[in-house]
Amino acid sequence: MSYLRGFYLLTITAAVLPLIFPDNYYVTVVGVTAALHAILAVSLNLLMGYAGQISLGHAGFFGIGAYASAILTTRYGWNPWPAILAGLGLTAVVAFTLARPILRLKGHYLAMATLGLGIIINIVLVQAGKFTGGPDGLGGIPSLSLFGWSVDSDLRWYIVIVSVLLVVVWLALNIINSRSGRALRALHGSEVAAEMMGINTTATKTGVFVLAALIASLAGSLFAYQQAFVSPDSFSFFFSIELVTMVVLGGMASTYGAIIGAIILTFLPELLVVFEDYEVMIFGAILMLMMIFLPQGLFVGLQHLLRRLTRDRRTAIDAAEAGESGRGAA
Amino acid sequence: MALLKVSGLSKSFGGVTAIADLDFEVPEGHVYSVIGPNGAGKTTLFNMLSGIYTPDEGSIRFLGRDIVGRLPHKVAELGVSRTFQNLQMFFNMSVLDNVKVGCHLRTKSRLWNSALRLSSTRREEQQAELWAREALHFCGLDDYLQLDADALPYGVLKRLEIARALAAAPKLLLMDEPAAGLNDTETKAMRKLIRRISDTGITVLLVEHNMGLVMDVSDRILVIDYGSRLAEGSPREIQHNPKVIDAYLGGEVEYAV
Repeated sequence: MSYLRGFYLLTITAAVLPLIFPDNYYVTVVGVTAALHAILAVSLNLLMGYAGQISLGHAGFFGIGAYASAILTTRYGWNPWPAILAGLGLTAVVAFTLARPILRLKGHYLAMATLGLGIIINIVLVQAGKFTGGPDGLGGIPSLSLFGWSVDSDLRWYIVIVSVLLVVVWLALNIINSRSGRALRALHGSEVAAEMMGINTTATKTGVFVLAALIASLAGSLFAYQQAFVSPDSFSFFFSIELVTMVVLGGMASTYGAIIGAIILTFLPELLVVFEDYEVMIFGAILMLMMIFLPQGLFVGLQHLLRRLTRDRRTAIDAAEAGESGRGAA
Repeated sequence: MALLKVSGLSKSFGGVTAIADLDFEVPEGHVYSVIGPNGAGKTTLFNMLSGIYTPDEGSIRFLGRDIVGRLPHKVAELGVSRTFQNLQMFFNMSVLDNVKVGCHLRTKSRLWNSALRLSSTRREEQQAELWAREALHFCGLDDYLQLDADALPYGVLKRLEIARALAAAPKLLLMDEPAAGLNDTETKAMRKLIRRISDTGITVLLVEHNMGLVMDVSDRILVIDYGSRLAEGSPREIQHNPKVIDAYLGGEVEYAV
C-alpha cells in the first residue's frame, strides 16, 4: 500500500535512533514524551483534522486513562494490564454517553462544550481527593512488565511507547484510507451530502469521538506507569490546547503532520529555556500565526508549496514549448 | 408502476407555506421534471423527498414504502441519490475519493475491519475504486481523477456531483438544477448526460430552470407555483397549457424546442 511508505520510514527512523544515540537524553527521555504526545495528537487529528469535529477537552480522556490505572494499581492492588483495560472501559462509557449530545453541536458551540468537558474532568481529578490524591497527585504507581520483561529503563519505555505509537499510526493510516476514513472526511466536507450518500453522520461522529478518546486513554495509562506519578496539572485545559496546537502546527488532516507537530512542541521547550516562562503565550502565538499564514499546517503547507513550485516550473516549460500560456481551460 | 408517489404533501416554515397539499407520481424509468418560479418550493420538495426536511403532512411512498420520517442516510439506503443546487462537494478530498464516498452503501467495511486492513476490506477497496472510475468515466471526468476537488472549475464540479450520486447505483436520482450556471456547450453536454443516465434505467427527478433542457429531456413535467400544483403533463401539453403560459412564462413562450 503506497500510503504506508511514510509509515515504514517512521518505523525505521524510530528503530535506528536509539542505536545511533544510545542513552541520549533527547532520544530516550524527551523522545518518549514526544512519542506519547504524538499518540495523542494522531488521535485528536482523527477527530479534528479528518472528521472536522474540534475538541478542546482531549486531555480529559488522557487523564481518565492515567487516573484509572493509577488508582486501581496503587489503591486496589490491580495488575497494571487489567487496569489499562478498565481505564479504556470507563473512557468508552464516558465518551459514548457524551458523544451524542456534544457532537450535535457545531463550530464554536462544539468547542465550548468540549472545553467544558475537559475542565469538568480536571475538576473531578482535583476534588475527588480521596481517590485521586487531589492537587498533590498520586505516586508509587508500579511499572509495566511483559512476561517477566520489566519496563524499568528509559530505553525500554522508549521501545514500549514508540511501539504503541507505531501501531496507532498504522491503524490511523488504514482508517483514513478506507471507507470509514472517507466517511470521516466526507462529513467534514459536507454533512448533508455525506448523509445523502448513505453515511450515518451521527454514528460516524460518535465512533470517531470514542476511538480518539480510547487512544488518549491508553496513552494516559502508559503515561501513569512511565512517570510512576500523576497529578491533575498534566491533564489541564492548557494541555488540551497544547494538543490542538500540535495538530494545527503539523497540519490538520495529516497524520504525519500531527506527529511532526507533537515532536516540535515537545522539543522546543527543552531546547529553549525561556520557553518555560512563556509557554502558554508561545502556544497562543503559534496558533494565531499558523491560522493566518499556514492554515494547512507545516507538513501539508510545505508539501503544497513544494508541489506548486515544481508545477509552476513545469507549466512554464510547457508554455514555452507550446508557445502559449497557462494550462488551458481545465 | 409508480416508483415515487407523493400525496397530500405540505410543509410550511413559520407560517410561510412552502408546499401545500401536493400530489404527483413518478413512473419508473421516466425523466420527471418539476418546474416553477423561484421560491415555488422546488428545493423544499427535494429536501423532503431526500429526508432532510420532515413534511408537516402527507406521505411520500418510494417503492411502496412510506419514507416520511426517515433520515437522509436511511432514504439513501432505499436507492435514492441526489445532487444539490448549491454544490455540496467534499472539497477536502480528491475527485476519486469524492466519488468513492458515493459507493458507501455498496460496501460494508466497518471501522475495525478498515483499521486492521483485513483482506475483505482490501477487496472492497478495489471494488469501490472500480465503481468510482466507472461513474467518473460515465460523466466524462477521466482526466480529473487524481486532482483535488477544490481545484476544479464549476462546470466540472456539477458533473462530479452527478458522478458521486451515480456511484451509489441509485434507483431514483434527484437532480437539483444541474444546468444552473453552465454555459451553452456545458448545458448541451448536461442534456446528453441526463438522457444517458435515463437510458441506463435510472429514474430521474429533475428541477431545472433551463426550459430548453427541461422540454427536451422530460417525459413528464409538473409545474408548481406557491407550493401547489399548477399543471402536469407531457412537455407538449405543458407548453400549450394557458395557465402555465400565463402564470409562469409571463404570457410569452420564448423557448424553442
